[in-house]
Amino acid sequence: MWQTPTVLPVLTGLLISLVCLAMNAAAEDDAAALAELIDRHIQAPLDAEGLERVPPADDAEFMRRVYLDLHGVVPSAERATRFLDTSDAQKRSQLIDELLASPSFGEHFGDVWRKRLISPLASEQRLQTERFSDWLAGRFNNNDGWDRIVFDLVTATGKIDENPAVTYLIEGRHPLGVTDLTDLSSRYFLGVRLNCAQCHDHPQVAWKRSDYWGMAAFFAQIQTPGRPKKVYQAGVQDDPKMTLASLVEADMIEGYQSVPPTFLGGEALQADAHGSHRAALAHWITSSENPYFARAAVNRMWWHFFARGIVNPVDDMHTGNLPSHPELLELLSRRFAESGFDLKFLCRAILNSRTYQQTSRPGKQADAEARLFARMSIKVLSAEQLYDSLVAILGPPGKVPGIDTRLGARSEFCQFFAGDGDPDPKSYERGIPHLLRLMNSPQFAGQNVAALVSRVVAPGRSTDEAVEKLFVTILTRRPTPTEQQLARDHLRDADASPQTAYRELAWALLMSSEFSLNH
Amino acid sequence: MDDIITRRGFLSLAAAGGTLSGWLGRLAAQAADESQAKSCILLWMSGGPSHLDTFDLKPEASDKIRGEFRPINTSVPGIQISEHFPKFARLMQHAALLRSMSTVESDHQLASYHVHTGYQKRAGGVAFPSLGAIVSRELGERDFPLPSFVCIGAGPRHATRSGFLGPDHQPLDVTHADRGTDFVEPLTGRNEFNRQYELLRRFDLPFQEMYRAESARAHWSALDRAVRLMSSEQKGAFDLSQESDADRDRYGRGSFGQGCLMARRLVETGVRFVEVLMGDGVGWDTHRDNFPRTRALSAEADLGMAALIEDLRDRGRLDSTLVIWMGEFGRSPQITSGGGRNHWARAWSSVLAGGGIRGGQVVGRTDQGATEVVERPINVTDFLGTVCTILGIDYTRPNRAPGVERPIPIVDTSKKVAVVSELL
Repeated sequence: MWQTPTVLPVLTGLLISLVCLAMNAAAEDDAAALAELIDRHIQAPLDAEGLERVPPADDAEFMRRVYLDLHGVVPSAERATRFLDTSDAQKRSQLIDELLASPSFGEHFGDVWRKRLISPLASEQRLQTERFSDWLAGRFNNNDGWDRIVFDLVTATGKIDENPAVTYLIEGRHPLGVTDLTDLSSRYFLGVRLNCAQCHDHPQVAWKRSDYWGMAAFFAQIQTPGRPKKVYQAGVQDDPKMTLASLVEADMIEGYQSVPPTFLGGEALQADAHGSHRAALAHWITSSENPYFARAAVNRMWWHFFARGIVNPVDDMHTGNLPSHPELLELLSRRFAESGFDLKFLCRAILNSRTYQQTSRPGKQADAEARLFARMSIKVLSAEQLYDSLVAILGPPGKVPGIDTRLGARSEFCQFFAGDGDPDPKSYERGIPHLLRLMNSPQFAGQNVAALVSRVVAPGRSTDEAVEKLFVTILTRRPTPTEQQLARDHLRDADASPQTAYRELAWALLMSSEFSLNH
Repeated sequence: MDDIITRRGFLSLAAAGGTLSGWLGRLAAQAADESQAKSCILLWMSGGPSHLDTFDLKPEASDKIRGEFRPINTSVPGIQISEHFPKFARLMQHAALLRSMSTVESDHQLASYHVHTGYQKRAGGVAFPSLGAIVSRELGERDFPLPSFVCIGAGPRHATRSGFLGPDHQPLDVTHADRGTDFVEPLTGRNEFNRQYELLRRFDLPFQEMYRAESARAHWSALDRAVRLMSSEQKGAFDLSQESDADRDRYGRGSFGQGCLMARRLVETGVRFVEVLMGDGVGWDTHRDNFPRTRALSAEADLGMAALIEDLRDRGRLDSTLVIWMGEFGRSPQITSGGGRNHWARAWSSVLAGGGIRGGQVVGRTDQGATEVVERPINVTDFLGTVCTILGIDYTRPNRAPGVERPIPIVDTSKKVAVVSELL
């Protein structure tokens, strides 16, 4: 008798996994097909302008880039060597799948979205944002649809301990909470900047002051009563009695207008709508009918990889600010919505495109190439990418007088090295204080560099091999013959012990512009 | 390689050994000759000092408001201040008390940001530059080896950043004046440092040539300026051990006093803006025990600021150096059951000294309980417009912030800015 009670579930399970596998394969095919469409949409304007694409990035450039973009850190020397030495034609798409499947994917995007969604008004004492990043990381790793994640953020209730998603609604709330949430939600979920319309009708754009306050009104039911600390004890709850008219210290808020909740574009909330105003807003935002939601997510993700949106500035999408590639934006938005707002699908399609895999080395017309995506942009490592990469290469940071790590070494480092606001990833924002610290602080330029050298200069390894290992570890690439020769000369001529000479070499690679950038 | 080590400054520094007062004096003389451009020292009273217990006493008010401190006479007849500023009281002829500050933010972070930048902080909005960054941009010289903006002290720094003016105007932070500035010496010897810097230059060159990135050029510009600071003679201004014990004592040996001393040395070498933060932790945020704490804080502030103003005067620098004493707001007139005072933004005081202003005067007036401004209200833009004018900066000049279409004036001119012309 084969039909024992245990076999059936096993078989069913097997069947389900087979179906899943087939669906996965289909999704991958879809992504590959979409990648080709991306390339075609990018190619057309290039042909029209007679502009040539630059050559593809070599394996090393591609690998470092895709690691930094998806995991926020450079790969280990071992992983890099394995990748560089494989001749499998599919190795790039396999690497993309491997990185998307790793928990580091969600952790990196959780980190990136935490920085966006937590208001800069949040004071350091109030920052309880680690758990918020973890919550986001879990959702990203679970590949929950972006519509579901956003719905849960906008409608979150309860205390931070019970539901970390409410952090979005709590941090930095007082006293501008309602206006803050209006700015952040429209900027990051809808790709529009409403903040100018807070005080006056926008001159070039359709947004009116009433549009701004109409959206703000949806958040009025969760306004903080009294002192800001109370919101931590009470958590977030909707109080149906609250409206914009009951806003605390409303006369202190610039441009204040008391209007009923109105969706962007002019449709007022039905008077008989039941449920909280936030739930109505969340349904409207994440609906596949919403004209902004999918486009905003696609443009933001495209910007994440290319440091340039299909619409620029990335969060200022309106009728007077047209996309450079309108059909591409429409296509990606439609396919993204059809996929169930599947972020990994969107990433997979973009990353498998030839457009993403081009080198960032400029050809004949550097600016035009960048504008039309004929080559990859060069991004500056974010503070987080820099810290995580230094730790990956050198191990834990050294303890240093003058660096106060009571709030955690990583968070101190990131605060010190981060630019203000929502910086342009192409723009280098570091100055004298940052470079002094990188060059001369034992946090990452002291004992840990010496320790790296001791690991690299292993017995039985030739000079050339050791130098190669150092390059792969720090720059994710092998040295050129010229660089090998330079290194040999340095090791021979330096008036110092081999250990010191290697340490100087490692220091030089760590301080290089190549290391500071994601090219 | 040689251009780093044989820099004249570095050699003369080495030759001078431990006694560097000579070169400091020489540099100071040079800097004074070169231009009439002004400098500014902001003494930042973190936490928000009580105006009723420092510069706007109300001896006639009721017990619940008046507090414990008595007013004393100053060098200017008719002007009285708290008894815990006795040294500063003798310098009143150089200073003006602004008793009608009136602002809108009463949260520490938001108020500090507003007062420093002139703009209210908005989520995801433009990152506005602080006063120090503005002065650095307007008055700083590109080829000066030190940053034009230095920030001294262990307090919170979120409001002091350069915002959209970028890394060139980011302050160099000195967390402990006693220790000098961090990471300005190489971890190795000078020769080794020069060797590895040269190695860095050679190894990075092919990347720069192949990728031609603006960001790579900016990286090198920052590297070169940092190395230039490391080998400059001006960096001696960070070393307080060059001052005599007696001089260091005059400023008070606490972190604030020593910060004031360093501020004087920095301004003398040509740094345009120095911010000295007073009050690590709660500072002047006296929700409880306002009186004992304000007494101690006042004594420390008095010592540092009086020594600073006196030294600047005696060294001929007071007219070209504006000293500002202020916090983010004042404190509530009503004394709480815990003997404290809460936040109060509607009416408070700040102090200006030097910078060529007309000293010896009081501007503005509050009502009997120091609750409301009744004469000559000064809001944030009026205040910053006034400071810019004193420093010779056109506060209406527009800046361009990346990604923002509209020009952003140094001080928000969308509402009328009323410069305090009595000071000019």
